[in-house]
Amino acid sequence: MESMREIIRKKPKSLFSFLSLLLLIVIIYSATVGTVDIPFQKVLAILLSETPLIGRWFPAFEGTDRTIVVNLRLPRILLGVIVGSSLAVSGTSMQGVFKNPLASPFILGVSAGGGMGAAVGIYIGITYYLLPLFAFIAALGTVILVFALGRVRGKTDIATLLLAGLAMNFLMSGLTNYIRYISPPEKEFHLRILAFMFGTLNGSIWKEAVISLPIMIIGIALVFAYSKDLNLFQMGEESAMQMGVEVERTKMIQLFTSSLLAATMVAFTGVIGFVGLMMPHAARLIVGPEHKKLIPTSALFGGIFLVVCDTISRMIGGIPVGIVTVLLGSPFFIYLLIKNRGETGW
Amino acid sequence: MVNLEVDSLVTGYSGKKILKNISFNVEKGEFLGIIGPNGSGKSTLIRALTQVIPTWNGCVKYDKKKIDHISRNDIAKKVSVVPQDTFINFPFTVRDVVLMGRSPYLGRFENPGKEDIKIAEETMKTTSTLRFKDRSVRDLSGGELQRVVLARALTQKPDLLLLDEATSQLDIGHKKEVMDTIKEKNEKKNLSVISVHHNLNLAARYCEKILLLDDGKKHAYGKPKEVLTNSHLRAVYGVEAEVHEHPKDGSLYVSPVDKKINTKKGEKTVHVICGGNSTGTLLKDLVEKGYEVTAGVLNVMDSDLEKADFLDLEVVTEAPFSSITHDSYEKNTELIKKADVVVVTDFPVGEGNIRNLEGVKEGVTNETELILVDIENIGERDFTEKNRGRELYAEISNKMEFEKVGSTEKVLKLL
Repeated sequence: MESMREIIRKKPKSLFSFLSLLLLIVIIYSATVGTVDIPFQKVLAILLSETPLIGRWFPAFEGTDRTIVVNLRLPRILLGVIVGSSLAVSGTSMQGVFKNPLASPFILGVSAGGGMGAAVGIYIGITYYLLPLFAFIAALGTVILVFALGRVRGKTDIATLLLAGLAMNFLMSGLTNYIRYISPPEKEFHLRILAFMFGTLNGSIWKEAVISLPIMIIGIALVFAYSKDLNLFQMGEESAMQMGVEVERTKMIQLFTSSLLAATMVAFTGVIGFVGLMMPHAARLIVGPEHKKLIPTSALFGGIFLVVCDTISRMIGGIPVGIVTVLLGSPFFIYLLIKNRGETGW
Repeated sequence: MVNLEVDSLVTGYSGKKILKNISFNVEKGEFLGIIGPNGSGKSTLIRALTQVIPTWNGCVKYDKKKIDHISRNDIAKKVSVVPQDTFINFPFTVRDVVLMGRSPYLGRFENPGKEDIKIAEETMKTTSTLRFKDRSVRDLSGGELQRVVLARALTQKPDLLLLDEATSQLDIGHKKEVMDTIKEKNEKKNLSVISVHHNLNLAARYCEKILLLDDGKKHAYGKPKEVLTNSHLRAVYGVEAEVHEHPKDGSLYVSPVDKKINTKKGEKTVHVICGGNSTGTLLKDLVEKGYEVTAGVLNVMDSDLEKADFLDLEVVTEAPFSSITHDSYEKNTELIKKADVVVVTDFPVGEGNIRNLEGVKEGVTNETELILVDIENIGERDFTEKNRGRELYAEISNKMEFEKVGSTEKVLKLL
């Protein structure tokens, strides 16, 4: 195991290729699963024929299977990949900036803020398609408020920021609870708020994947661009400065980008927990803490993990994927904890 | 190559002025020590020299260029810092951390090349960290980690190395090892060093020049001999300290002395007849116990006299290397008569100081408590002609009551 880890750390490209391939297989397999089972080969053939550029060399498909795969399952799976990767990278960035392995994408109030926005939207009867916008504005608004509170004399103070995030988390959760309390007692109403709070990929549409994809690409690219600075950050902010890092700029870019990633994803799927906290750990166990390797590995892990969880959630009757990630993730997390106990390997 | 000028530097934090008008220069290859009590601005100065905090007034210049006109990255190529301690939460390997020192030279997406790795390995060799280069920094001891951080700082290939109490967490062996490594780089590679020290002896031992800060101001600046003086240390640290020259290499060393100001009269007066460093810690101990202590007759430059002077004792003195004159004999006998207790230490008796014993014979009365140290072995330390020392001891011990102890350390127990 140790030697395999060594090999991976020295040749991370082989790991990236392997994980990319695994992600592709998981995507195709996931498209076979659902109320109608479609064989793997057929899904592969449909997907190939639909792929831009190379699609014209493959026979086109018509019919229900194609509709199910292309219009129903594929947007959901792709959104799963996008959300999983984004949350994992967001978590990696947060853990890096806070120099703390317990930081998550939601540490600055994104989830609670988004939840509050969604609850307000549902309460005042916003139509489904406008709801993400509501959640997004509330999530980002909360983070900006936290930034403002965490700024001490022109500098972002990490400890103050953390406390501000904690306070806003409580405030926004409190507001959400208040809205739920005064809401009419119809079950449907509460289920919608609950679905948001658990996080679900149900009912994902192409539009969501299309909007979130560029945000994911830009976000991950920005976080990755400052990966060297994130490494130096781990020596302490002052030492990082003395090694040439523009600390304030790095901090703002990292925190803002990772919050934007998380806010976007929360807006579309609700609060999917655990991915952003755990995937960076899992990745760190494999490739080590060096961010240039850690960020892509986290992204691939996050994408694979969320699609696997969503596939399971569809297999067992469509419970929100956020429940699966926690139920599946926690035991895995505990397993890692026990396995690495005594080793300071986080 | 670096030449640092600090000119009337004023800076601080959020409105609180810490450094007040500091000026000094560091030439290429110089080793400057910065000392001063807690809160005197030592670490603040290091921060100002690396643009971690902005200057309010005055300026810091590297090679005639103002620091705020140099990019952070370019500063990092000239100056590197070893902080007092580093906490790393994630399991980077030693090699990862040392290679971070190359980052000012690398582009955003550039990986360390062969040359960078070579430099890192060299510095790991000089800091003896190479043998655990693949270990996680989280598994290292404090001393090992500090050496890794030093290796990282050296990997930055600085012209000027700043040490912010960099060795304060290390044990004495590693302190010396690390400082020797740095000194060697300083001497051979012309690396300039500015080293903040809590430990005055380390500063005295390694620095060519010392800057003594007090309350953010320059109190003294110059060679260790000029800065580490009794009066400077008293003024800044508020302690009495003895400054000695190391017998082996001539470097200075400082040992603080607890000074109880002898204002209140002690209940009992103890007169100590001594010399030739025979008192050990007796004088200090007696003062601390609240006795009024006098001593005599001591030659100037006698180490017992130095101790007595530090304690501000009343002492009968004689010129260096000269015999006790009638005048000082009289004074000494007066003090003996006044004393409640007279202690005669096991000082070597010669023609020069034999009159001390004569004074005892004359001055001690029946009310005096007389303590003689180690009288059994007087023969070994009697350097007088015709054994006058031994005779006098015999006369004294026949004439009056006394108590005897084996060594000066035991005197205190009798009192």
